[in-house]
Amino acid sequence: MMGMRLPAKIGEWIKRDKKIHFTFEGQEYFGYEGDTITSALLAAGVKVLGRSFKYHRPRGVLSLANHDINALVTDGVDTNIRADVVKLVNGMQLQAVNTDGGVIKDKRKYIDSISPLLPVGFYYKAFHKPASLFPFWEKLIRKAAGLGIVNFNFPRINKRKLNDFCDVLVIGAGPSGLSAALSAASNGLEVILVDENQYIGGTLTYDHAGQDTSQQILKDLVASVLDHSSIKIYSGAYAAGYYQDHMVPVVTDQGITKVRAKAVIVATGAFEQPPVFHNNDLPGVMLGSAAQRMIHRYAVKPFNIGVVVTANDHGYRVALDLVNAGVEVSALVDMRPKPKQDAQVDALVGKGVQVYTGYCIYEALPVKGKLGVSGALVCPYDEETATADIKNAVRIECDGVAMSAGWAPAGALLYQSGMGVAYRNDIQQFVPNRLPKGVFAAGRVNGVFSLDGRMNDGLRAAAEASNFLGKQVNVVSVAEHQGVSPSHPYPFVHHPKGKNFVDFDEDIQIKDFINAAKEGFDNIELMKRFTTVGMGPSQGKHSNMNAIRILAKIRNLPVEKIGSTTARPFFHPTPMGHLGGRSFHSHRLTSLHAWHQAAGACFVDVGAWSRPAYYQKAGLSRLENIQQESLAVRQSVGIIDSSTLGKVEVCGPDAAEFLERFYTGVYADQKIGRSRYVLLLDELGVMVDDGIATRLADEQFFVTMSTANAPAVYREMQRWLQIWKLNVTLVNVTGAYGVINVAGPKAAKVLSKLVSLDLSEAALPMGRSAKTEMNGVSLRIVRAAFVAKQAYEIYMPSPYALSIWKALLEAGKEEGICPFGTDTQRLLRLELGHPLPGIDTDGLTNPFEMRADHALNMDKPFFIGKRSLEIIAKKPLTKVLVPFVLAENYKGEIPQDCNLIIENGAIKGRVTSISYSPSAKRIIGLAYVAPHQSQLGSVFDIRTDNGSLAKATVVTAPFFNAD
Amino acid sequence: MKLLNCPMNGVRPLSEFLFGGEFREMPNPDASTDLEWASYVHYRDNAPGIKKEWWYHSPSGTWFIAERNTLTDEVLATYLHGNSPVSKVKEPS
Amino acid sequence: MTIFIKTTPVAYTHYAVQPRIGMHHGMEIALSFEGDSTEKAHKQVLAVTDVSCFARFGIKGPKAADWLNQQGIKTPEVMNAWVEGAPNTLVLRLGGSEFLVEDQAQGKACEALTSFDQASTTGAYQVARSDAAFILGGREVLNLLSELCMLDLRDSAWPSHGVVMTQVAGISATLIRESLAGEQVYRIWCDGTYGSYLWEVLTEIAQELGGGAVGLICRFQ
Repeated sequence: MMGMRLPAKIGEWIKRDKKIHFTFEGQEYFGYEGDTITSALLAAGVKVLGRSFKYHRPRGVLSLANHDINALVTDGVDTNIRADVVKLVNGMQLQAVNTDGGVIKDKRKYIDSISPLLPVGFYYKAFHKPASLFPFWEKLIRKAAGLGIVNFNFPRINKRKLNDFCDVLVIGAGPSGLSAALSAASNGLEVILVDENQYIGGTLTYDHAGQDTSQQILKDLVASVLDHSSIKIYSGAYAAGYYQDHMVPVVTDQGITKVRAKAVIVATGAFEQPPVFHNNDLPGVMLGSAAQRMIHRYAVKPFNIGVVVTANDHGYRVALDLVNAGVEVSALVDMRPKPKQDAQVDALVGKGVQVYTGYCIYEALPVKGKLGVSGALVCPYDEETATADIKNAVRIECDGVAMSAGWAPAGALLYQSGMGVAYRNDIQQFVPNRLPKGVFAAGRVNGVFSLDGRMNDGLRAAAEASNFLGKQVNVVSVAEHQGVSPSHPYPFVHHPKGKNFVDFDEDIQIKDFINAAKEGFDNIELMKRFTTVGMGPSQGKHSNMNAIRILAKIRNLPVEKIGSTTARPFFHPTPMGHLGGRSFHSHRLTSLHAWHQAAGACFVDVGAWSRPAYYQKAGLSRLENIQQESLAVRQSVGIIDSSTLGKVEVCGPDAAEFLERFYTGVYADQKIGRSRYVLLLDELGVMVDDGIATRLADEQFFVTMSTANAPAVYREMQRWLQIWKLNVTLVNVTGAYGVINVAGPKAAKVLSKLVSLDLSEAALPMGRSAKTEMNGVSLRIVRAAFVAKQAYEIYMPSPYALSIWKALLEAGKEEGICPFGTDTQRLLRLELGHPLPGIDTDGLTNPFEMRADHALNMDKPFFIGKRSLEIIAKKPLTKVLVPFVLAENYKGEIPQDCNLIIENGAIKGRVTSISYSPSAKRIIGLAYVAPHQSQLGSVFDIRTDNGSLAKATVVTAPFFNAD
Repeated sequence: MKLLNCPMNGVRPLSEFLFGGEFREMPNPDASTDLEWASYVHYRDNAPGIKKEWWYHSPSGTWFIAERNTLTDEVLATYLHGNSPVSKVKEPS
Repeated sequence: MTIFIKTTPVAYTHYAVQPRIGMHHGMEIALSFEGDSTEKAHKQVLAVTDVSCFARFGIKGPKAADWLNQQGIKTPEVMNAWVEGAPNTLVLRLGGSEFLVEDQAQGKACEALTSFDQASTTGAYQVARSDAAFILGGREVLNLLSELCMLDLRDSAWPSHGVVMTQVAGISATLIRESLAGEQVYRIWCDGTYGSYLWEVLTEIAQELGGGAVGLICRFQ
């Protein structure tokens, strides 16, 4: 294999004193620091870099513009390494993806020869019947087509997601972007300049047309930009998408930086588009700009003897660069009928290049195995019919072809921002005609192609952006496009054998589009989905424009009537790890969390909290643990960390009035030190939450709410307060106070060892609350009956919770005090027959259905949901929540939460809570049943998971003798 | 990500906010018919246009009203409830 | 009976790293995590210090500012701002009518404020606080914050006495920047129940960036 590295040249991106060794397909190679995998392989004379997605055709470089999807490699860890982007690292061991037996000998290359049997859409049609066999075919097809193999052991490497800010974000550091950045910065704006290449400069780094003028411009521009303190450069970084209000994620190797700008200038340039002819995908056939990038960035000779085919003036620039790099350009084939006459042509002719005007390449001729090019068949070309006159074919020997036919604007970000476009016939290109506020386009993406024009367009965009940001600078005008169109309207050559590729990601040929249109998919969006054009990893960067041109021709419509599809974020394939970033899983812990963990708690997430569900004791099952904990509460004393309860202080002269409007009950006459039940409905009269309100002072209530609902209930309090404009201050003390609930017949005994408060039934009956202190720490104790008849909720400042918890455990040692978790709490409250909002209610449950009429004061002038309840009350009830038991000796399938209540085959309700109660010694539960089934002693059927019916009997709660 | 201007805390990314639904004036519960009340609690006007919406700034606990064009997603004004500048919303006639 | 001690909201995280613990304002707090020289080095790069033990007093309501002023505590004149309301005591105005008073290492104002008597005060209501409170310092602080907060927190984008209520690592937090012994540091407060989570996130990133947790001793020596 012949080395293709050129002698050292000014501006090259490689460091020749730093050699890097690697292997590809088992062969050893070397490159230099600054090489990409692709450029090092090209320099070593390797032409075949991969196999195509579908037909397994050998492929090389197409664009060298960071979207060469046919050059994906793997190192055994990373699935799809973009060889044209990823820099060479010493010791890399690389293989092409999607081959069976290596990139040269790929056993699946036969697929190319049977490709006529596999037209676009064939597998939808061929394999959809019988449906039972589809998975078999699918597996086969998926194995044959595709890219790299996913490595399920991929290491997790943290890729940070950062935020950055600027006044003006300039995307693309070519001539227009550089001059825009400089100009905006000199207007006093803070600029971030992003470019996907490792060095800034854009076309100035490679499009030289055999001269060094652009290199001088580049040098000056880069020096000024680097010198400017208000320009921050992200190079080797791509702007991945445009998001609302000027947020653009910028992706680098290290991660993603979300840049929030006040204005965005998109100077992303244009993608060169291939002319389409037979075998235009052979290794060695490449875009003209790809050849230029090889020469000037990596000092690699693209081929030794070449043919340039062009349908615009750019091909002449390419030919000059090739000649200058020592390539023997045997022919320049210009598809346009009108001869170009200028100094460039003269220079080329002077170098011995033969210019064929009005000719096309009918086909590129392959070497054996299609591993390269042996020549080009050049024919006179009829632009009207896009056909070649093969009778007058000329065969030209060559080992490479450079193609130039035109450009497609790199407008993905502009489309995402909401740009409107117009098609300009003078340049055969879509250009922005309506841009959102603060978004500006400059350069080739804006339809400006001359170098002077692009730099000027950068200044214009910078001036507009500056004025948009409140600066007052002079408007800059840009001259109209002069001369011939940079893009050809229809650079296609029909060929009976096809293999004239439009989309190189997905192996789509011209005839595939014609077939799609025949099948009725003749709208660009439908055609895209049927042919999959533009749906490969490069997202149509080299194919969408040609697809639009073909469809326009098929439908005999102007291009602008076809429209364009929008490329979605991200602009380039972006690794999952980048998208994932660091994992943030915010969670709330009580002060006792470490204690719970040490005590063997099994945790469960409740809202944002992590709470003990129960404490694991050796050798016991989950249910056994829960039952033991519940028995301890029933027989002696248990203790639970209830710090997660929502807690809000409602303060101010209108505090009682606020509660009266917010909740369903009466609070105006509530005495200080008393607690009352609170029930919250929404405006529909649906149950939302409940809790306890304790009056601490005339103008101060302490309200609790359930753990999971607390954030939403507090927000609703704040909203209604803003609407009602009452003289009330809300203080959310959920996190500030710890809560410990001591429950069970021995609770008072334990507690009285630590507090001087009189805990007797007479002094502190149910619904009372009192202030006290323990060891100098102020506490509030509320007598609540949620889990046991004798239960004390102790409220303390959170930082003291651990000390107090430990003191209670110590004090309760004799009584065998038992910590219990939320699963146990659920059983305990069920044994008492307390329904839980959110468990025993759903998004439609009204309080009548839950038999909570006692909590409603319909005589109040207003409470949230009251008006709706008045309407609901006029209608018959359809379901009622009842406590039920199964037979004491029930042996059948155990019903579960949500099992249905069935009567005569019809659904009448459902089970909301069910559990075995060791205290009641039977299965107990709550269920919605039809009203006629709700009488005490009524029997109804629960359909269990196995279909059998379990007989349940309506009883009264509590389910056991609580005294 | 969209930006929203909290009347108390200034311009913040949308991730700091919660959407609180369309703002609707409650009819007088005592004077409205069952039908009027049911319309209030059940019906929402989904036609695109300029809407008043509730938004909540989580870190500071601030509810406010945003007038937003749901067709263009442009926010025309934000203010605390009751502090409305000249409203851009056309009241249904 | 033994005296009840207070635990810091981040006490849970101490089990894994076992810092040297001491008492400040009755709270068990980390005095040091590593050797003095290591912590000093971390302080240069990126240091996270738990100062949840600082005495704190919260008050809210239409008359809250008046009440504080009557106690001789200065309050910020504009919303979302802070002042040194008494020697070595910060006063943060959270929105319009809520205040957080926090004694710094040498501050002493809070103790007197606990005499607040709700019954005899109208229009001002005490806000019980058990914040997790941290100091962030070192040259990589903005690097860390740029991963955790979507706001522009550079000096140019933020008045020097501004209070920012925002989200940090997805949870609500309050931020200020201040000068401490000649170094610009950042203060973060969040609900204590999120403290362990936030501490873990902050110290994880600090370690990645070459810093780490730094105890009270190194922070205030």
